[in-house]
Amino acid sequence: MSVEARPFQPQAEDQEQVETKRGSTSTFSRVAKYTLVRVIMLFFTVATGVFLTIMIANMGGYVDNIMRGNIREGLAMQMQQDPAYKEMQPDERQQYMASLIELEEKRLGLDKPFVTRAFRYLTNALVLDLGRAVQMTSDTGSKEVRLIILERLPPTLLLMGTSNLVLFFGSLFAALALSRQYGSIWDKAIIALSPTSSAPSWFYGLFLILIFAAVLRVLPFGGMVGSPPASTRWGYFLDVGKHLILPASGLIISSLFLSIYNWRTFFLIYSTEDYVEMAKAKGLTDREIERRYILRPTLPNIITNFSLLIITLWTGAIITETVFQWPGLGRTYFTAIGLYDTPVIVGNTIIYAYLLAMTVFLLDFIYALVDPRVKIGDS
Amino acid sequence: MSKKLFALLSLLVVLSLVLVACGPGNEVVDEPVNEPTTNEPVEEEPVEEEPVEEEPMPATTRVGGWLDTVAMSVVGADSAVTQIEAGAVDLYASNLSTPADFEAIEEAGLERSYQFGLYYEITFNPVGPTFPGTGALNPFSSARIREAMNWLIDRDYINQEVYGGNAIPKFFSFVSGFPEYGRYIDLVRPYEVYYAPNRELASTIITEEMELLGAVKGEDGTWTFEGEPVTLIFLIRNDSDLTRIPQGDIISNWLEEEGFVIDRQYKTASEASPLWVLGDPADGLWHFYTGAWGSGAISRDNSDDFQFFGAPTSAYGFSPLWQAYEMEEADLQVLDDLANKSYTSLEERREMFEQALAIEKKYSFRVWVVDGRAASTWRPDMSVAYDLSAGVDINTLWPFTLRFDDVEGGVARWGAPDLFTDPANPVAGSNWTYDSQWQIATGDYDAIPNPYTGVQLPQRLEKAEVTIKSGLPVGQTYDWVTLEFADEITVPGDVWVDWDVENEVFITAEEKFPDGQTALRKVVYYYPAGMLGSITWHDGSPLSVGDFVMGMIMTFATGKEGSPIFDESQAPALESFLGAFKGFKMVSTDPLVFELYSDVWYADAETNAVPFRTAFWPEYGYGQAGWPMIAIANKADAAGELAYSADKADALEVEWMNFIGGPSLEILNAKLDEAIAENHIPFEPTLGQFITAEEAAARYANVKAFFEEYGHFWIGTGPYILDEVFQVEKTGTLVHNPNFPDLADKWAMFSSPMLAEVAIDGAGRVTIGEEATFDVFVTFEGEPYPSDQVDDVKYLLFNSANEIVEVGAAEFVAEGQYLVTLSGETTGGLESGANKLEIVVVVIPVAIPSISDFEFVSE
Repeated sequence: MSVEARPFQPQAEDQEQVETKRGSTSTFSRVAKYTLVRVIMLFFTVATGVFLTIMIANMGGYVDNIMRGNIREGLAMQMQQDPAYKEMQPDERQQYMASLIELEEKRLGLDKPFVTRAFRYLTNALVLDLGRAVQMTSDTGSKEVRLIILERLPPTLLLMGTSNLVLFFGSLFAALALSRQYGSIWDKAIIALSPTSSAPSWFYGLFLILIFAAVLRVLPFGGMVGSPPASTRWGYFLDVGKHLILPASGLIISSLFLSIYNWRTFFLIYSTEDYVEMAKAKGLTDREIERRYILRPTLPNIITNFSLLIITLWTGAIITETVFQWPGLGRTYFTAIGLYDTPVIVGNTIIYAYLLAMTVFLLDFIYALVDPRVKIGDS
Repeated sequence: MSKKLFALLSLLVVLSLVLVACGPGNEVVDEPVNEPTTNEPVEEEPVEEEPVEEEPMPATTRVGGWLDTVAMSVVGADSAVTQIEAGAVDLYASNLSTPADFEAIEEAGLERSYQFGLYYEITFNPVGPTFPGTGALNPFSSARIREAMNWLIDRDYINQEVYGGNAIPKFFSFVSGFPEYGRYIDLVRPYEVYYAPNRELASTIITEEMELLGAVKGEDGTWTFEGEPVTLIFLIRNDSDLTRIPQGDIISNWLEEEGFVIDRQYKTASEASPLWVLGDPADGLWHFYTGAWGSGAISRDNSDDFQFFGAPTSAYGFSPLWQAYEMEEADLQVLDDLANKSYTSLEERREMFEQALAIEKKYSFRVWVVDGRAASTWRPDMSVAYDLSAGVDINTLWPFTLRFDDVEGGVARWGAPDLFTDPANPVAGSNWTYDSQWQIATGDYDAIPNPYTGVQLPQRLEKAEVTIKSGLPVGQTYDWVTLEFADEITVPGDVWVDWDVENEVFITAEEKFPDGQTALRKVVYYYPAGMLGSITWHDGSPLSVGDFVMGMIMTFATGKEGSPIFDESQAPALESFLGAFKGFKMVSTDPLVFELYSDVWYADAETNAVPFRTAFWPEYGYGQAGWPMIAIANKADAAGELAYSADKADALEVEWMNFIGGPSLEILNAKLDEAIAENHIPFEPTLGQFITAEEAAARYANVKAFFEEYGHFWIGTGPYILDEVFQVEKTGTLVHNPNFPDLADKWAMFSSPMLAEVAIDGAGRVTIGEEATFDVFVTFEGEPYPSDQVDDVKYLLFNSANEIVEVGAAEFVAEGQYLVTLSGETTGGLESGANKLEIVVVVIPVAIPSISDFEFVSE
């Protein structure tokens, strides 16, 4: 993909497309070739990323030592409580302990070399065989990584989706409006408030809890539902909504002003283009100017941002989820890292990596659809 | 976005900032108060709380738990107190342990428990004098320097600075509030006095030893060895309760003042473990480490502690560090003998204990620092019994004692750090405390430990007869157990000693051991007559003999190769069990009576009867279940569709069995349908003798109806029924079981610990060479402490040099009153000056000894 370096033509859709002849290569073969190369490149990028994740998560194999230590410590403590163990002779004890250690190491896969396991994790991940967790279980008790992730997905999407969509569209439209009110009181207020985004969402979360849960006592401290939970379906949904308000607000507030500021600055550049001034002079309405002269040329950027936002929903928000006891994927990921549960780490990573690769891949085509200057596979 | 919304959001942020500004600012922190170092014995106040004013409990007709519903949810420890204050939850059942937590509880006016938490120590690397791996000098290779750390470390200072005074300075492994401490306090107190902080002495010893090791102290006060500064690598744990960071820093500072360079390496458990547990200490990658240990229950016998913590024959013997513990053969023998209970009388045990105390300090492979304390907290209008070790959440008595004061019923909102952590199944399911907290409420037990002493009390059992081989030192506290001794305990030939997996019948002793066998311990268990008709499972089925026999079969079935439910991970445990197990049998079915023969024995008759909550009651270690549920679960396990244990589940790559949720439910339900269709009687050659076809049909139908109503298979007989389970949302409810057999006030006597209060009265001046007497008053809530509940009243006499010059027993005068008499000969040995009489009262209802002292002048 490439963008031809030429001045932007605001009404390009009304102009005749410039046809470029590329030898005997048809458009189809050009697109097919581009697609193939792109897919292969993205695949290798994903594979490399996942392999690096495996190596980092296992500290290059050092985690095996950590797990061996944990096994021995855990068993020793267990043995101290076992009266039968105390009755054994020293050699019997050692034999008994050794058999328990062997069993546990086998269960955790430590009986196989790390390199072998690392490549198995990689190949399984690449074919989306997420396998079984080493230590973790899903909330309902399953050791399938697929279920561990799937069970946490709805709460994550609910929290991250609600907050990010509100944040995205809220800041987009607010910025659009501000871009045409440069220097107004609201514009200045947003600029002044944009440094508030330097504080993370959990920081605002704590204040929101303090105000609305501890002092005013109108909203819950955390969790996804009340305890005891509502007995009706509607009651349950309302309860979830009530519990969603504070964490979602924390996430929104922490990024809102900076996001508005960013978009507003971005739109401001386009708002001052000559063709926008011309449109104003022609007496077009604000709405028409926004839609046709500002939003349209910025559409690729907006789509890119939106697409990346959608896939970042997958990652969750580790600390905010922890502060609000929200059962999201961020906490799952964090727990998996703490427990060195490689299959869960890899499972999360591979799905994110594939989503990212697919998004990048599709964006190439979407750009071509929304921007006539872009051609797939054009060198 | 509308202008109004903009305004609202702006207002919100500003409001937050204003609130922050208005909040309490950073307080000026005074310099740490460093108490002057003295040789004063550390006075330990066993209890800091005021006795709870108990109003007489009205008689009740309510059965089981006091509450209608217990709603459990996940609450962060950081906000626990605030949430209770705000009315979001009613109690936080887990441990809060920081000084800030204690302060917050007090400020909020909440009730709290006061249990022992982690206990802390410093572990030394003893390899040396130089590390073969690095050639660097290891000062801790010197036993004298390790011992000197006892004087260098001011335990009370660490207690005040790090633990806000809530911990207790510690000198040996056993917890200060547990029975061994009270039992041998006269042996321990001299060490506590001897090792009182003494920087000067520590410094002298360190200097002498360092010079012997070839180190040189430079003009700047830094020790060097072969021209290089002596650098000590200190592994400081920076996880868990975070208290080991300041603790490590304080100790580092003290050692830096002694001239060492300290390389403070802050590490998590996982990062430190490969170094200090797995790593070879000879590699020289560390010199000392901030250790901590915990105990989930009151330990009544710590005789193996000395071996566990300081001998290569420890359970930690796999560790190269423990293998590096070099000691004289005779010393090792003492520790091993004590751990293996190779004594024949309490006097011999005491002698060995005394030797072990000296051996521990002689080698000082570790220096104990403090016993940490923790609290659970709840609303002021609630009450609950707590265990001195287990606190509230895993205290077996919480379901019976948690209540709103003077109210029957109500909904209690219970907060905990986690809930539904791992799959729950009774045979090898979750062992997380966060799962135990609700499982305890749904189950019932043969016996329940006294929360203040750990001695077992009967719950479902009526009585037990314990026979111990003559010569083994076993004592008795309560009369629900009868204790006898016999020169030989012959095991009858008809007891069941093993399980024949092929024919599904028990193997008798005469079949397996035709030459006969003897045992060290025999117990006869008696359940009340008519019990089987009066107790029902949560699904409405009456408890039956089959439930008990199923439990006996399952003792073997998962660990026996060839069994359809064989689990490789259970085999070593069974093998270990069979090493000491001599057989059991059912003597009668109404009343239900069992006999048990074993070579495992304990110092308490009650523990010999019920080592841990259950002997024959159908409780499988990870929860309770009737025979139909075990039958269904066995079908799923045998078919390879589910597995009881995580190990087997991983090996077969199937789900770890979960009775309360997830993919397991569908499989278990299908197996239930199968069982219903077949009217399945499991292990039929054996259980067929106890379970009729009619019973089987009725039991399965009840399980089915229960599953349809509750959506899970967790069926117990306890005071609460597991009602709703929201595993992703991490919340669930327990509801009152109206069919529980006992009245709700059965365990009301444990609403607060009956700690003795001690007062001493006597002459402030004593004439040297003349007899002196002192009155000792032992009371509880102003009333004399019943003498039959007082185990011991000891006195320790300290002279003006703070040395113990006499230890003795106070004489009983009247209820709550005792007399200490110091003979003329004793006072004659005192010099002119201030002396101290310390009284230690050990009572039966509470393990924590009460200590008080009285100063007098001799002239």
